[in-house]
Amino acid sequence: MRKIFSFIVLVLLAVSSAAYADNKIVVYTSQLEQDAHQTVEAFKKANPGIEVEWTRSGTTSLMNKLRAEFAAGNPRPDVILIADMVTMESLKKQGRLLPYKEAPVKGYDENLYDKDGCYFSTKVISTGIVYNNKAPFVPESIKDLERPEAKNLVIMPSPLYSGAAAIHMHTLVQNPDLGWDVYKKLASNGAVTSKGNGGSYKAVASGEKLYGFVIDYLPIRNMAKGAPVNFIIPKEGASAVTEPVAILSTSKNPEGAKKFVDFMLSEQGQNLASSQGFMPAMNGISAPAGFPDKIKLMPLDTSEALRKDRKYKREFSEIFGG
Amino acid sequence: MLRNKISRVGVLPARGNGAGLFLPLFIAVCFLALMPTARLLLESVIPDGHFTFGILQDVLNDSSTWKALGHTVFVGCCATVLATILGSSMGLLVGLTDIRFRKALTFCFMMPMMIPPQITALSWIQLFGPASVLLNTLGIAPAPGTPHPMYSPAGIILLLGIQQAPLIFLSLKAGLSAMPREMVEAARVSGAGNSRVLRDIVVPLMTPSLTAGMALAFVSCIGNFGIPAMLGIPARYTVLTTLIYQRLADFGPEVISEAASLSVLISLLAVFGIMLQTYMLKRKDYRLVGTPSEILKYRLGGYRLPAEICSWIVIVLVLVIPLCALFFSSLIPTFGVPLNAKTLTFSNYITVLFKHDATVRAFINSFSLAGGAALILCAVAVPLGYFLVWQKNSLLRFLSPLIELPYALPGVVLAIGCILLFLKPVFGVSIYGTIWIILMAYLARFLTMGMRPVVGGFSQTDRVLEEAARMCGAGFMRRMRDIVVPLILPAAATGGLFIFLAAFNELTVSVLLWSSGSETLGVVIFNLDDSGNSVLASSVSILVIVAILILMVILSMLGKKAPKGSIPWQC
Repeated sequence: MRKIFSFIVLVLLAVSSAAYADNKIVVYTSQLEQDAHQTVEAFKKANPGIEVEWTRSGTTSLMNKLRAEFAAGNPRPDVILIADMVTMESLKKQGRLLPYKEAPVKGYDENLYDKDGCYFSTKVISTGIVYNNKAPFVPESIKDLERPEAKNLVIMPSPLYSGAAAIHMHTLVQNPDLGWDVYKKLASNGAVTSKGNGGSYKAVASGEKLYGFVIDYLPIRNMAKGAPVNFIIPKEGASAVTEPVAILSTSKNPEGAKKFVDFMLSEQGQNLASSQGFMPAMNGISAPAGFPDKIKLMPLDTSEALRKDRKYKREFSEIFGG
Repeated sequence: MLRNKISRVGVLPARGNGAGLFLPLFIAVCFLALMPTARLLLESVIPDGHFTFGILQDVLNDSSTWKALGHTVFVGCCATVLATILGSSMGLLVGLTDIRFRKALTFCFMMPMMIPPQITALSWIQLFGPASVLLNTLGIAPAPGTPHPMYSPAGIILLLGIQQAPLIFLSLKAGLSAMPREMVEAARVSGAGNSRVLRDIVVPLMTPSLTAGMALAFVSCIGNFGIPAMLGIPARYTVLTTLIYQRLADFGPEVISEAASLSVLISLLAVFGIMLQTYMLKRKDYRLVGTPSEILKYRLGGYRLPAEICSWIVIVLVLVIPLCALFFSSLIPTFGVPLNAKTLTFSNYITVLFKHDATVRAFINSFSLAGGAALILCAVAVPLGYFLVWQKNSLLRFLSPLIELPYALPGVVLAIGCILLFLKPVFGVSIYGTIWIILMAYLARFLTMGMRPVVGGFSQTDRVLEEAARMCGAGFMRRMRDIVVPLILPAAATGGLFIFLAAFNELTVSVLLWSSGSETLGVVIFNLDDSGNSVLASSVSILVIVAILILMVILSMLGKKAPKGSIPWQC
């Protein structure tokens, strides 16, 4: 018995010591599976000698993991790459982010990165409307989805789960022409929520629902494969998340983490984003095929969004149930 | 002197009765089952270092908490009843009658445990929705825009019931195969008819197995997140698990404490369910003497064909339709493209097997995790059950409702507990971020799955044989090897199989604990699906099911040499 026990302890020790390489960074990302994998591989190729360990999930679930790590007092990641600037702003307020003033921000609009150098946008991902080709009418505005022909046919991702959906909610509510009124009308018109953008897209593609709010690249990528859907930017404009990257103040390898930020902001990193089918954040990098030339964006006040985040999310779940 | 006193009051086993094995086992189980939960509960009353009941009070003063609690109890009870009706009628048909194709029926009825619940939910939504291929072909599809019948409490109950039915079915079957024949024969000789025998002999004797299965089903239902999330959120029907998920979406430091407080409610419900089961078992003595005998075969006569047809209709509904939905969507290039000769493609399979290196890794990880958890927990469950039921150990009695908790808690909550617990090195070993933390979480979560059938088995079996061996001077280990293990093996194997199937596809725990290199299959399927790559996710799910089938075939071959009843689907 004792022999077995000591053997187990030895094995555990061996495993845990092998897990720590010298030059390693840990990345938590909300990117899609294959994109996260490609990004990490490209980074490793550009920076030989740095090991990368990564985890992906929806922004909310990732934040739960991170919050538990904060509570236990030993956050693991060096770099986080998540959906939206509002979440980043809240982390910055808690003093969780490391300012990186020397980051290469040439070619980026000023509203795309934090002025103190705590986080930097890497892409522009807009949320518009996807509709199935069987839909009774082609929507032009968000308010079109309140029409009786769209009754029980609308689906949207939940802001409780998806960072992009949370930004979409704040953008709509902050817009004086839309506000909660739109959501209440959509709800009484039988609109429902799915968990993430993936679920929303799937419901529309399979014809279970015919209209949905969704992030741009899902329908655009799948239309190329023959999916029976179409994507529009409503005439009010789209909301956008920008997938910012940041270094945690508790990073054990800030030098390696800075290299990762450099890579994400570099021309090479931006071209990679474009080749993956995203609208790059850097000026002068061409957008992938299938994207509208100019996406009209609705304005968003991030600090206001952060202040109201909790209240709005609760309000949303009262209207839609989750 | 003191030692003897302690063992007399039943706190510790006496010398020669496994005393050496008891303590390490007890401590390990305490650590596994209690620590993550306890750490989390601490978080609910000591959110930032000072003690407060404030958060708990806020949660209890919130009307949505009570509404969700009511919904949880309602759905949990109804789904358990449905699962019991489905599972026990199938179990009795297969276990007691001369119905044909028993092996195939058992095999098929187990499979719904293998299909990830979110896939089952999706296929049922597709089946009854406006997009239904089946209904469209028949021309009776509802027009787009009609409210979906599955998005309702009834839909949640139906799917939860179907998902839990195999648990009840297998518990009952393990019980039936341990039932000695003499009693039934005696009753029949005295002139009792079939229904009389069923009512007065079989059902009462099956009570331990059946209640064990029901308790497990109830606990799984109240802790289930996937099905109420997919079907309940669109219907604005909140249960406790979906409420926790809503709370976790907030920013702010008190989030985890709020989630923890809500989990306390789920835990209380689970403990209440288990207490009820214990109370039901207290009233009678179910112990039987004798070794398992031949399976009884009641003649169904003219009812045989209708019974067979009904059974297969059930199988078609719970297994074939979801499987077909899954299989067809794995053959198209992207969701929404109709399947025909032109669009059919196997590229998804090629992608996940050869271009997506996480899939193969996840197969290896999940197989090792599920196999490891099943073996370790079976090895622990047999002596634990022995100490608990046959030696009536009072320490373990106190502990036994508590080991339900990690299973009843929503996976996300258990995972957060594990993060809080293992983030800093424990005894100088840091397992966070490795595959070992997932194994730890699985051991905690599935311990009760291994224990239930074994406890049912022990309370059904009389101790006479073991006492006889003791009279003849056999030591503790010798009695374990020659008497206890062979008697309990069928029950333990059933438990092991439960654990393997549940762990092989597990998602909610591992989704918060994985990192690159330690992906599980559940995580890979979720990640692909979440990334809008549902067709790839479907093809991985199909591969998982194929892998399980292959494993079962291998088991069947090995099972020919194993003792009777150790492979649940071999009749």
